Amino acid sequence: MSIDPALLERLENARNTAEAGGGEARIAKRHEKGLLTARERLARLFEPGTFMEFGKHAQHACHQFGMEKKSMPGDGVVTGVGYIDGRPVAAFSQDFTVGGGALGRIHAKKICDLMEYAGQAGMPVFGINDSGGARIQEGEESLSGYGQVFFKNVLLSGVVPQISLIAGPCAGGAAYSPALTDFLIMTRSNAQMFICGPEVIKASTGQVTTMEEIGSADAHAAISGNVHFVAEDEDHAIEIAHKLLSFLPSNNVSDPPHKPMENLVFNPDPVMNELVPADPREPIDVKRVIAQLVDHGDFLEVQEHFAPNIVVGLCRIQGLVTGIVANQPAIKAGTLDIDASDKAARFIRFCNIFNIPLLTLVDVPGFLPGVAQERGGIIRHGAKMLFAYAASTVPKITVIMRKAYGGAYLAMCSADMGADMVFAWPTAEIAVMGADGAVKILYKREIAAAEDPAQASAEYAKEYRDKFASPYQAAAKAMITDVIEPSQTRGIVSMALRNTLSKRETRPPKKHGNIPL
Amino acid sequence: MKQLRITVDGKSYDVSVEVLEESNPADTAPAAPAPVRSAVVRAPVAAPIAAPKPAASAAGPGTVVSPLAGKVVSIDVAVGDAVNAGDRVATIEAMKMNTFIYAESDGTVAEVTAEPGQMVDEGAALLKLS
Repeated sequence: MSIDPALLERLENARNTAEAGGGEARIAKRHEKGLLTARERLARLFEPGTFMEFGKHAQHACHQFGMEKKSMPGDGVVTGVGYIDGRPVAAFSQDFTVGGGALGRIHAKKICDLMEYAGQAGMPVFGINDSGGARIQEGEESLSGYGQVFFKNVLLSGVVPQISLIAGPCAGGAAYSPALTDFLIMTRSNAQMFICGPEVIKASTGQVTTMEEIGSADAHAAISGNVHFVAEDEDHAIEIAHKLLSFLPSNNVSDPPHKPMENLVFNPDPVMNELVPADPREPIDVKRVIAQLVDHGDFLEVQEHFAPNIVVGLCRIQGLVTGIVANQPAIKAGTLDIDASDKAARFIRFCNIFNIPLLTLVDVPGFLPGVAQERGGIIRHGAKMLFAYAASTVPKITVIMRKAYGGAYLAMCSADMGADMVFAWPTAEIAVMGADGAVKILYKREIAAAEDPAQASAEYAKEYRDKFASPYQAAAKAMITDVIEPSQTRGIVSMALRNTLSKRETRPPKKHGNIPL
Repeated sequence: MKQLRITVDGKSYDVSVEVLEESNPADTAPAAPAPVRSAVVRAPVAAPIAAPKPAASAAGPGTVVSPLAGKVVSIDVAVGDAVNAGDRVATIEAMKMNTFIYAESDGTVAEVTAEPGQMVDEGAALLKLS
């Protein structure tokens, strides 16, 4: 009275067929190139033995162009749920050995079903992209499949973290699914992402370019800003994914994985004082400041190579997960330009969605002057930062290190933009504009009437600087919480974060604001 | 005050330990379970940060350009000097801040094309390395 062994054998065979993907020969070819298979990638992503597969026995649904005679195990994608760091994560991994990982109707359905499940269960989605594109034999059904995936991406946006790994070709419309997710990791080898490749560009415009210039990980990380992390290879990409997930909650109604310390530490850090140059024209390397502030110097920088005049990333500060937004005075004088505004605004909004407190480090002389900036719409782009900060209801702590001039200061989360606490170093200069510019307006007549206008201008500027190049003017008007020594920053910021963690702020209900995109 | 029992060669000793100072978490080893490559977790940055190349620069290879419009404060090398990638070669003042310009590659200074006090545009050549 036991089950017919033939049935078990059939199941065993079906499992083996599905797990073999495109077959031994194609897998061997991949290994020769130093590439992992779709299943090997998932095996590295998840803790051993935790992967539960969805739709293992799925097949393609195409009955034309000879496809009816072909087998497509899993329809070219492996989907399911596994555990990372003790938490469930949904993942799909496109299988290039099965029909080039091309997307057909069932392939798309598997991805959509997985995303639907992940949204309801409240777990992150990790997508590994390695696909030749649409399955041409399935025509408009492939196209429709992409549309359905995009729609699901948008439904999940803001509900669970979505992370994409580009580990192979990702071309044309296919690139828009990762583009709709929160973070893109791209491998330096074997991955290309583009809408129109060099050949199409040449045929339609005559422009000559290379894949390196338009579709490589480096181009996307530094120039287009489409990619957030560059990985040397697939293993490195998985490490980045693990690191990133270690800072994120599973969904928008959970807190991020804080690991609060039992007792806060307030020991002063003398290195912080040393990092502040006496000459206000000498730039601070803000990355060194960040390294001192965060636990174990452990800072996961996001979009490191794009718009490096602003630095954004994730860390823990005395155990609390925190998103940092910091001006980088060592590059472009720390000015805000179009790219820097876009980069920061997106990161601020991500943190707000997932309940990650924001720490803003300010040393900003203004928006970057220039014709290209004005004509490129710095007004519209800079407004994104104002919008993102003002619309965020997570704890917002601001530290004014040195320059905090004009509209750029407001865009760096001043008290007016809803900062819960604002601390200033003794080197802080909070002013509507720099001294030289200000006196030209304030003392226009006096300077013009003076015997030596240049000298008069310099004298007025010195007087102005003495008065305003300190945080006390702003402190006297109760615009800042306190003036602190740089060496005290870590302790005080930790306490500010902890005090503010229970913050609850409700806003009038609406569909969504109209951020100037 | 903490009571600890320490056993040495089968003989046990009771000791009391007083913790005088909370350790700074920055001094202790990370509790992260997996080893992580340095590319993921940045060590404190010691090396100077190279300014990014302006995207629209028409300058050829070996040309060091200004990353933003400003005034040349100093050219920190002379024709014939050997420079290594990462060496500071010029200083530009813009937005009340000095921006240091670093060589992107090793080479010898072949030509200096800007002088102190001069205003330069974003992407303007400052010097050429050969």
